[in-house]
Amino acid sequence: MSDEHDRQDGAASLEIEVEGLRKTFGRREVLKGLSFGVPRGGFLSIFGPNGAGKTTTLRVLATLLTSSGGSVKVAGHDVREDPMPVRKAIGFISHNAMLYPDLTAQENLRFYADMYGVEDREARITELLERLELSARRYDVVRTYSKGMRQRLAIARAVLHRPRVLLLDEPHSGLDPRAVDILDGLLTEIRDEHTFVMVTHNIAKGLEWGTDLMIIEGGRIAYEHAADVDHESFSAVYREHVHDGSVL
Amino acid sequence: MKKLLSAPALFIWASVLLIVGILLAFWYSPIDASSMGFSQKIFYYHVPIASAAFVAFGVAFVAAIAYLRTQDLKWDRLGYVGVRIGLLFSILVMATGMIWGKAAWGVWWAWEPRLTTYLLACFLYAAYWVLRSVVDEEDRRATYAAVFAIIAFIDVPITFFATRFLPEGLHPVVVGPGGGGMEGSIAVSFAICMVGMLLLMAAIIRRDYEIELIRDRVTDLKTSLGG
Amino acid sequence: MSGWSQFKAILRKDLIRELRTRDMLVSMILFVLLAMIIFHYAFTVKEGADLTYFTGGMLWVTFIFAMLLGLNRSFAQEKDEHCLDGLLLCPVDRVTIFFAKTAGNLVFLLIIQAVAVPVFALFFIERNFLGDLLPFLIVLALADLGICALGTLLATISMNTRSRDLLLPILLLPLIVPVLIAATGATTLIFAEGASFGSLVARLLLLLGFDAVFLVAAWGTYDFAIGE
Repeated sequence: MSDEHDRQDGAASLEIEVEGLRKTFGRREVLKGLSFGVPRGGFLSIFGPNGAGKTTTLRVLATLLTSSGGSVKVAGHDVREDPMPVRKAIGFISHNAMLYPDLTAQENLRFYADMYGVEDREARITELLERLELSARRYDVVRTYSKGMRQRLAIARAVLHRPRVLLLDEPHSGLDPRAVDILDGLLTEIRDEHTFVMVTHNIAKGLEWGTDLMIIEGGRIAYEHAADVDHESFSAVYREHVHDGSVL
Repeated sequence: MKKLLSAPALFIWASVLLIVGILLAFWYSPIDASSMGFSQKIFYYHVPIASAAFVAFGVAFVAAIAYLRTQDLKWDRLGYVGVRIGLLFSILVMATGMIWGKAAWGVWWAWEPRLTTYLLACFLYAAYWVLRSVVDEEDRRATYAAVFAIIAFIDVPITFFATRFLPEGLHPVVVGPGGGGMEGSIAVSFAICMVGMLLLMAAIIRRDYEIELIRDRVTDLKTSLGG
Repeated sequence: MSGWSQFKAILRKDLIRELRTRDMLVSMILFVLLAMIIFHYAFTVKEGADLTYFTGGMLWVTFIFAMLLGLNRSFAQEKDEHCLDGLLLCPVDRVTIFFAKTAGNLVFLLIIQAVAVPVFALFFIERNFLGDLLPFLIVLALADLGICALGTLLATISMNTRSRDLLLPILLLPLIVPVLIAATGATTLIFAEGASFGSLVARLLLLLGFDAVFLVAAWGTYDFAIGE
């Protein structure tokens, strides 16, 4: 089985394997055959112009979309054939918090904990709320939270079930500096045990965190490289492919 | 063989049968013994039209299932065409039914099971059309339409069953042939009209389906030309 | 973590949310009570008009229209806050979501009916039908189930379309006609004449059949309705 295989190969094995990924919406082909891999413990930063297919790719990895062709394996399971174990293994952070505004932080986290079958539910919730500095607002409804606080709670939601893979969809967008610090702090803490894929327009953050870089353009991989490039040269490549106004 | 089943061929078959059928109906079959007299002759077209409508919806049902399984948009086109034709024929059922009702009983409308069910089918499939018009993404539209087509088709027989609970109106319109079985000459004319009508339905569906596929090809060409 | 515990989690979440804000419940109850008052004015044009055989119809029309309001709401928030994505990311069977949502809508409908029926009886029903309470409750339960199951399935579809609120009635009302026919017939009989199970059996079977068929149909198609 795939898990045994992972243990044998150790860090060299791929946590995410994408082969010839295609996605069509009706007759509109958005992804035209992507192939890439992310090793265990790796961090892939994906850039690209709007509409290139970055978010679509992420959503396929997250099992929110079914591919139209090719194969996608996450944490050793095929996302089409076997989505359930994949869902247990991934956490998704996007600029939408995916939190219920009329429920308290505790109720939100309890709900997701139950959905994921987290066994030490209360302890885990308490631990995360402390780490994210939200303990004081535990019993307040999320409607009363600021954007930064919601984003922090969303992080708690995403890592509640201890996923091996984290998928991030422009996580830094719209955050105040304090929230950015807390997010970065948390990412640093869990960096080692996890595999990441981050879609971002923020070159600095993408370079800072990534071990690998990728630019998707027109549904294809336009550029891929290890993240050992310097900011200048990458910005040049970036500007070549991405023509909208992005954060440099 | 393929030529025999192509749309133009089907039209010819259908026309031949329908014309022969109606001639037989008027000159060969006797006037029905029931009190409706001459107006009963409408049933030679009315019932086949009703059957054709149902079959058309059935085609949409099968196409819907096929689409959900294969995600091939061709099935979506077929389903759409099936519903459209079914809707057309349903309206014709009601029109012929109303004419018959007026001629035989003096009323334009009666809440009897058959007419009511077809009226409701019209609304159901009109809803299908509205559903399609408010979804912009093609694949999602096809999926939702398929789900609804399946649900709607299951609902029609149940509705028919349910309308029998309604109290019988003052002027029950008997929509079937008067009495038990059909005697020979009536049966022959009826059978010919039935087959002819079904072939007509098949011909229209086939032609419309081909038109939809061509329309898709045109759109594809336009997109690839940068439209 | 089992389907059952996930079902409970979703149901609990929806109930907590609604009982806390009470948006939907209060509006639906007000709507239902207002509808009854309007019916009175609409139908008593003639002095001493006898509405005995209209009672079932009035009641069920009210409930169906109230549910149209409620069904949209039950999904509106999932959609607006992108919580639906959060739900779909969970390792949960899509069908479990369907059952949990249907159950939630059923609970709300029952709550509204618990308030509305006594008031309705006060306004419109002269006969004491407490003796027939059991058959009445069964009719209620079966019809409610059909309305909620189909309603949940269709609301899932309509919430993803452009004209969300307008679409649901157009889709649901024609489909729900058999339920309406059976429920109003049975209810009117109970209110007007008193009815034993015997006289209601055919209608009850229709409702039962309807529920069974559409629960299975929804089960089979819900994956497609909710996914992307």
